[in-house]
Amino acid sequence: MATDLSQFQDAFFEESSEHLTTIEDGLLQLEQRPDDLDLLNRIFRAAHSIKGNSGMFGFTAVGQFTHKMETLLDQLRNGKFFVTPEITDILLRSTDQLKILIEAARGGAAPETDLLLQLERELAAAAEGGEVPESASSTPSQTSPAAPAAASTTPSLHRFRITWAAPAWLFQRGLDPVRMIGELEDLGTIVLRRLDTSRFPEFESLDPESCYLTWTLELETSKEQAVVEGVFDFVRDGGELTIEECDQGRVTRNEPDSSSVTRHQLPVTSEGCEPKPLGEILVESGVVSRETLDNALSQQKRLGEILVEQHVATPQQISQALQKQGDTATQAKKGGDAASIRVDTGKIDKLINLVGELVITQSMLSSLGTRFDMSQLPILVERVAQLERNTREIQERVMGIRMLPIGSTFSRFPRLVRDLSGKAGKKIQLLLSGEETELDKTVIESIGDPLTHLVRNSADHGLEPPEERLAAGKPELGTIRMNAFHEGGSICITVEDDGRGLNRDKILAKALKQGLIANGEKLSDDQINGLIFRPGFSTADKITDVSGRGVGMDVVKKNIEALGGTVSIKTALGNGTTFTLKLPLTLAIIEGMTVRVGRESYIIPLVSILESIQPTASSVKTITGKGEVVEVRGSYHPIVRLSEAFSIEADCQDPTKAILVMLETEQERVAVMVDELLGQQQVVIKSLEKNFRKVEGIAGATILGDGTVSFILDVRGLIELSRHGLSVAA
Amino acid sequence: MGKTVLIVDDSSTMRQMVAYTLKGAGYEIVEAGNGKEAVSKLNGGAKPALVVTDLNMPEMDGITLIQEIRKMPAFKFTPILMLTTESADDKKKAGQAAGATGWIVKPFNPEQMLKVVQKVLPG
Repeated sequence: MATDLSQFQDAFFEESSEHLTTIEDGLLQLEQRPDDLDLLNRIFRAAHSIKGNSGMFGFTAVGQFTHKMETLLDQLRNGKFFVTPEITDILLRSTDQLKILIEAARGGAAPETDLLLQLERELAAAAEGGEVPESASSTPSQTSPAAPAAASTTPSLHRFRITWAAPAWLFQRGLDPVRMIGELEDLGTIVLRRLDTSRFPEFESLDPESCYLTWTLELETSKEQAVVEGVFDFVRDGGELTIEECDQGRVTRNEPDSSSVTRHQLPVTSEGCEPKPLGEILVESGVVSRETLDNALSQQKRLGEILVEQHVATPQQISQALQKQGDTATQAKKGGDAASIRVDTGKIDKLINLVGELVITQSMLSSLGTRFDMSQLPILVERVAQLERNTREIQERVMGIRMLPIGSTFSRFPRLVRDLSGKAGKKIQLLLSGEETELDKTVIESIGDPLTHLVRNSADHGLEPPEERLAAGKPELGTIRMNAFHEGGSICITVEDDGRGLNRDKILAKALKQGLIANGEKLSDDQINGLIFRPGFSTADKITDVSGRGVGMDVVKKNIEALGGTVSIKTALGNGTTFTLKLPLTLAIIEGMTVRVGRESYIIPLVSILESIQPTASSVKTITGKGEVVEVRGSYHPIVRLSEAFSIEADCQDPTKAILVMLETEQERVAVMVDELLGQQQVVIKSLEKNFRKVEGIAGATILGDGTVSFILDVRGLIELSRHGLSVAA
Repeated sequence: MGKTVLIVDDSSTMRQMVAYTLKGAGYEIVEAGNGKEAVSKLNGGAKPALVVTDLNMPEMDGITLIQEIRKMPAFKFTPILMLTTESADDKKKAGQAAGATGWIVKPFNPEQMLKVVQKVLPG
C-alpha cells in the first residue's frame, strides 16, 4: 500500500499501551476468576489487536512475540487446559517483555534477547503442555501452524462465506468488482479468496466487456449479514450470490474439492494473512526436518559478521555503524515523543456546540455594534453577559479536555502489589476506588511515582508479616486501600493500610540518632509524623529490595509540593496509616486573591493565605536584626512590605492602617503588607519564564479583567528574598 | 484535483444540495438541468467519473439519458447513480436495464449519499 502509515504510529503506541493495561489487569483478575471466559476473551482480543497492528507498521518482533502469547491464550480460551498461577506468571512476565519490545519499536532500549527467547520457550512449552491427549501424537511442528488460523478469530466475529458468480453485464453498468471486494475488506478481514474462471467461454466467443468471473471469499467481520449483503445491493438482479455464515475454523481447513472448478488461486494464504517464514513452510511440507532447519538457521550470520569476514569492513567500523543506528533510533524516539491525549468525543462535541453558541453571540454583538444607540444599552449588557457565560463554559470544557480519570494511574498498582506481596512474603489485597475521578493530565503523569513510593512503603513498612498480624488479632490478609475523590477545588488521593501504624517512639529515637532533631525538643504528633519525610530518614530495621533505603518519602513530599499539593498523614499505632495527597485539579488556573499596593495589583495564590488582619498598634513590634514582626494569637511573624519588595510607593506606611495578609509555607508564616484586598478570582497563569525569564519572587503573570498585567506572587520565593533583605529584581 | 461528478436534475435545490454534499467531500461538480443538457455537456468535453441523475426531467428523462450515456464510448463503464423514490421499484429496474449502476433513494441525507457515491466510485 502506498499510503504512508507512519503518521499513525503514535496512535498505535498509545493504543498498544491501553491494550497492555487490559492484558495485565485481565491477567491479574484471571487469577481470582480463572473460569471467566469473557475476561480471557478480552485479554485475547487485546493481544490480538497488538499483533495485528504491529504487523501494519512492520514491527515484526512485536508481532511474533505477541503471536506466541496469543497461541497460549487461545488454548486457555478454548479450554484446552486451566489457568494456573504458573501460566499467569509466564503471561505476566511476557507482558512485561512485550512492553519492552514495543518501547524498542518506538526507539527505546533494545530488549534482552536471552530473556525473550527464554520466555518464548516457556510460552511454547506451556502451550504444548495444554494439548489434549488426542493430539498428543502430533509433533510440535504440526501443531504450531494450526494456531494462527484458530487464533486469528475471536468469537464476536462472524465468518461469512460468500460465493458470487458475477452477472455478465457487470461492467456495462459501470460496476467494479475490485471496488466491491474493497468494500468487503472495509467490513473486516478477507481470510480466504478464490477466483474461479471456469465460466470463461472459448476465446472466439469471448466478449471482453462481459464478466465471467466467480469469487469465493471468506470474510471475518463483526458486522451482521445484512451489512455484508448490502455490498451487493446493486447486483441483486443478476448473477448468483450466496452468503452464509460458516462455522469458523472448520471451513478454513475444509479445502474445496481440488476439482476442475478451482483453476486459479489468488496468492493469499488461507490462514490469517501472515505469510510464514520459508523455514516453517519447508518443515510443514516435509522437505526438511525441524532439526535440519534449526541447524541451518543457527549458521545464519549477521551482516556485520559477514562483512568483517570478507575483510570489507573492520569490526570497529561495524560497531560504529551500529552505534549510529542506535543513536538515530533514540533520536527518532525523542522526535516521536509528541504528547497526545485521547479525548472522549462527547467532550469535543459539547465544546463544538459551545463554540457555535459563542459565534452566535459574537455575531449578535457585532450586528448590535453596527447600528448602536443608547436605547439598546440593556440589550448590549445582556449580550455581554451571555458572552461571559459562553466564555466561562468554554474555559471549563477546554480544561475538561485535559482531565483524565485517575484510573489509568491506579491500574498499575494491582500488579505492583501482587509482586510486592510475593517479595515480602505477605498476603496483601489492594482495594481501589474513585478510579473515575478526573484530574489534569500533567498532574496524572506526575503522581505515578509518588503513589508508587507510598504503596511500596505501605506494603513493606506498614503491613506486618502474617504471623505478626495474627498475633495482633488481625486477619492474615493485609489491606491497602487507594481512593481518589474531589474535595472543593482539589483532588484527594489516599493510600491507606491496616498495618502497624507509625511508631512514634521509634521515629523519635531514630531522628535523634540521625541528628534530625535536638535532644529534649518538644514535638507535636504532626511534627513527628512529618519527620518521615526528611531526606535520609528510615526506620526499617533492614534494607529490603522494596524499600528502607531512606529515599522515597522525601521525594514523595517534594514531588507533591512541586505540583502545588500537600501530603498529610493520619496514623494510629497498631491500626494502620493513611497518607492523603491533596492536589490542585489543574496547574494552569489558580484561585487567587488580588491585592493592591499603591497603583500596582498583585495576585496571591489563595492556598497560601491563612487570614487577613488589620493589626492593632500594640501587636506590631520591631525586633533588632529581624525587622518588623506582628503578634497573632501569641506567636510572632515577620512583616514583609510588598512595597519594599517591589520598590514601589505604597499608600499606607503604617501597618495598623494597611492590611496584613498572613501567608503560610511549610517552613513558616509571614504577614505580607498590602494597601487593599481587591477580591478573589480565578486567574490563568502565564509563564514569565517562557516569555521573559525566571524572576525570583514571582510565579507568573496574568491579565486582569481591565486588561492590565498583574504578577502572581511566588510566596516561598518572596519570603526567601525578604529574609535576605532583597527586593524583587525584574 | 478531486474527481468530477455530473449532477443532472431539473430541481436546482436538489442540484445544489447534492453539489454541496459532494463538494464537501472533495469532488468537482458539473451541473445539468435535464438529460439533453447533460448529453451536450458530455459531448462538450466534461469528463465526469460519476453521473448522478434524476429520472423525471423535462426535455430528456433520466432513463433515456442513461441509455445515451452508455452509447458513448468514453462513458460506457462510467458509474451512473439514479435518484429515485423508495416506492419506484419498476423505475429502478428500468434504470438498471438501461445501464444504471445503482440508485440513491430520496429523501437522503448527506452521509447516505456519500456512502453510495463511494460505493461505486473506484478509490
